[in-house]
Amino acid sequence: MRSVRIIALKKDRKRILEHLQNSALVQVKHTEAQEEGFKRIDTSAQLKQFERNAEVTEQALKILNSISPEKKGLLASFKGKKEIDPDEIGRLATESAKIIGICQKIIRLEKQRADYAAEQIRIKTSIAQLEPWKKLDIPLNTKDTANTAIFIGTLPKLYDDITLSESLAAECPELVFEFEIIYSSASMTCIVLFAPKKQREEAEKALRTLGYSRPLNPTSRTPSVKMQRQLAKSSDIELKDEQAKNDIISYLDYREAICDTQDYFNLRAEKYRVISELDQTEHVFVLNGYIPEEDCGKLQELCDRIANCVVEFEDVSDEEAPVKLKNNSFTEPAESIVTMYSCPSHEDVDPTPILAFFFYFFFGMMFSDAGYGLLMVIATTIILKCFKPDKKMRNNVRLFRNCGYFTIFWGLVFGSIFGDAPAVIYKMVTGNAITMRELLPWPILDTQKDALVIMILSIALGLVHILVGMGCKFYVCLKNKRYAEAFFDTGLWMLMLIGFAVIGAGMAFSQTVLYIGAGTAICAAVGLILTQGRGKKGIFGKLLGGVASLYDITSYISDLLSYSRLLALGLTTGVMAQVFNMLSTLFGTSFIGIIFMIILFIIGHAITIGLNALGSYVHTMRLQYVEMFSKFYEGGGKPFEPFSVKSKNFKTKGSNDDQ
Amino acid sequence: MFGMFLAILAASIATVFAGIGSAKGVGNAAQTSMGVLSEDSSMFGKMLVLTLLPGTQGLYGFIVGFLILINCGVLGGDLPTLGQGFAFLAASIAIGIGGMMSGFAQGKAAVSGITMTAKDEKNFSKAMVSITLVEIYALLAFIVSLLVVISVPGLNI
Repeated sequence: MRSVRIIALKKDRKRILEHLQNSALVQVKHTEAQEEGFKRIDTSAQLKQFERNAEVTEQALKILNSISPEKKGLLASFKGKKEIDPDEIGRLATESAKIIGICQKIIRLEKQRADYAAEQIRIKTSIAQLEPWKKLDIPLNTKDTANTAIFIGTLPKLYDDITLSESLAAECPELVFEFEIIYSSASMTCIVLFAPKKQREEAEKALRTLGYSRPLNPTSRTPSVKMQRQLAKSSDIELKDEQAKNDIISYLDYREAICDTQDYFNLRAEKYRVISELDQTEHVFVLNGYIPEEDCGKLQELCDRIANCVVEFEDVSDEEAPVKLKNNSFTEPAESIVTMYSCPSHEDVDPTPILAFFFYFFFGMMFSDAGYGLLMVIATTIILKCFKPDKKMRNNVRLFRNCGYFTIFWGLVFGSIFGDAPAVIYKMVTGNAITMRELLPWPILDTQKDALVIMILSIALGLVHILVGMGCKFYVCLKNKRYAEAFFDTGLWMLMLIGFAVIGAGMAFSQTVLYIGAGTAICAAVGLILTQGRGKKGIFGKLLGGVASLYDITSYISDLLSYSRLLALGLTTGVMAQVFNMLSTLFGTSFIGIIFMIILFIIGHAITIGLNALGSYVHTMRLQYVEMFSKFYEGGGKPFEPFSVKSKNFKTKGSNDDQ
Repeated sequence: MFGMFLAILAASIATVFAGIGSAKGVGNAAQTSMGVLSEDSSMFGKMLVLTLLPGTQGLYGFIVGFLILINCGVLGGDLPTLGQGFAFLAASIAIGIGGMMSGFAQGKAAVSGITMTAKDEKNFSKAMVSITLVEIYALLAFIVSLLVVISVPGLNI
């Protein structure tokens, strides 16, 4: 990584920034204050405008998607973004105002629809309130006549003609009245009551004690007329709502244009964010950034071509500089596994190549079926060829293709091709039972019969894995001139582990080898006792520290045992496949039986692939993160994030981000 | 005859007890992940991975059970002696109990991992690795059961 400084005339600013954004070569350095003699431009107003526009498009898209969900195929997520010419962006700019107008129209329509929905609810409640008064043939707010007082209202209890007149008479014996019950239910009785005007107050008092209340929203029309009007209004609103919905649907064709416009505004916002980071004078601006070593020439060439400017490169060593991983096509897919853990810091070596190899290797050993491996390779190749996915997805797909190759390899070693499918078919055709070992022309390790051998193999591979990790630590320490750490803390332990491995080999093969191993391990142990307490004070403290450090052996042993999962998961795949093969042959060789066999075979193996691919992925990752990375990897670096076109929908042709 | 009964009992113990562990573990994890998905359905893939992690114990138990069945005369192999039957039984206890208890524990870890991932998707890989830390104990139990089961037919007991 190098730092770069581009100095150019302000009149070229737009063009230079556009090209930089498009080529995604440079990460702009973020600094709080400008250098002396320079000024910064405040672009927050424009930024806000762009962000608001992007927000508007987002809302409009959401509305469109809620009305008519976008139809996406199952495999669409593999598909790369559509590619457009950089000049297209100019066209987007000219159209953006129109599109934003459309978005706002969509949002307005949606808001209207929300209002309509609220109105409908209001109408519904008002109709529900009028329902009991349906039979009343005078308006609810009818006033008293010259000599008669009229009371229209509800009582909170069930009454009939007799009980009501009795209650009223009990309240006020001298009251003269005439009434009509319009509606009655268990909790409410609607009445109209007439009384002489001069007795108005007594009547009102009597009614009040019974719990009389006037109806809500009295109107000057009879209830049935009012209800009809409300119903008419409701159907009118329904029509309007339908109209608004159709209007929104008529904008569905603009969905893609809206997506593009959204990207356009995000892209502009990104650019203005960079502009606010630039140091400027009246005629000149300065851009500070980082650039990967290999892209320096490209940037120089680009700048020379588009404008008169000065480009200065400088080596950086500060910890602020971001990290860009550089790998070949075999190891690059595993970068995502590394960055998921953490980006390497300046002191680390890039662990990707080692991780990549062991990731594929261990994945293959756990998934271990030539048939499944072949399926993986075929499926991923088809996806790569037909969908042309974007960089990130492409690397993920390639990760699984590489895992697939190793899965085939280990499947052949373990003699597993869709489990024991070849043997099962052989038996069906010839009637003779046969094992995969007899069927396959090459010697195989049977996961069930040779489990012990495979277990030893797994732990031996684990030892290699751990030693490689420790070797990295050794190298890093040497590089940073921490010799004591390199030789004493790492080297001696490596020696110790190798000693144990040799002892193991000696036990199997010869006495002499065993002695050599024991000697090595004892030497390493003595060395550890002498050196590990070096930070402590006093002879006694140093010695005690050294002896205590030997306890770490337990952590190494548990790390090594952890690799037994290579056997366990490998076996799981094989046995599950075998179980389904057995189940699918249960129906015999009749025509129906064969059909059942094929169906069961496909379903069973699909289940096996799903469960075991997941298991293998997770456990391989764990072996890398917990067992190997813990030996040497610090992480904590910042990933390189160039100033680029960060769009969801399109990518510009020839952008560096996607090579 | 009695040897075969013991072998079948052993297969049941291995499959059922380890299965109980996984069922409870996956069940708990699935409940939590559905809570998360009700808020944000885009995390389905990640949630699925975390939910399935406690599911392996049941698989190990099943495999031990299956290997017993193909070695004890039910799906192949010779009729076991009484001693071999007891050996199968003893072996199945390892993955039965080990799988069950580690399934419970891993289920709890998965629930925490799911809530952690729900807060910030970047925590996914850390959650995943932490949850698999529990798995090693199921694996060790599985390997013990496995090594015994595959060597029982050769034992002269």
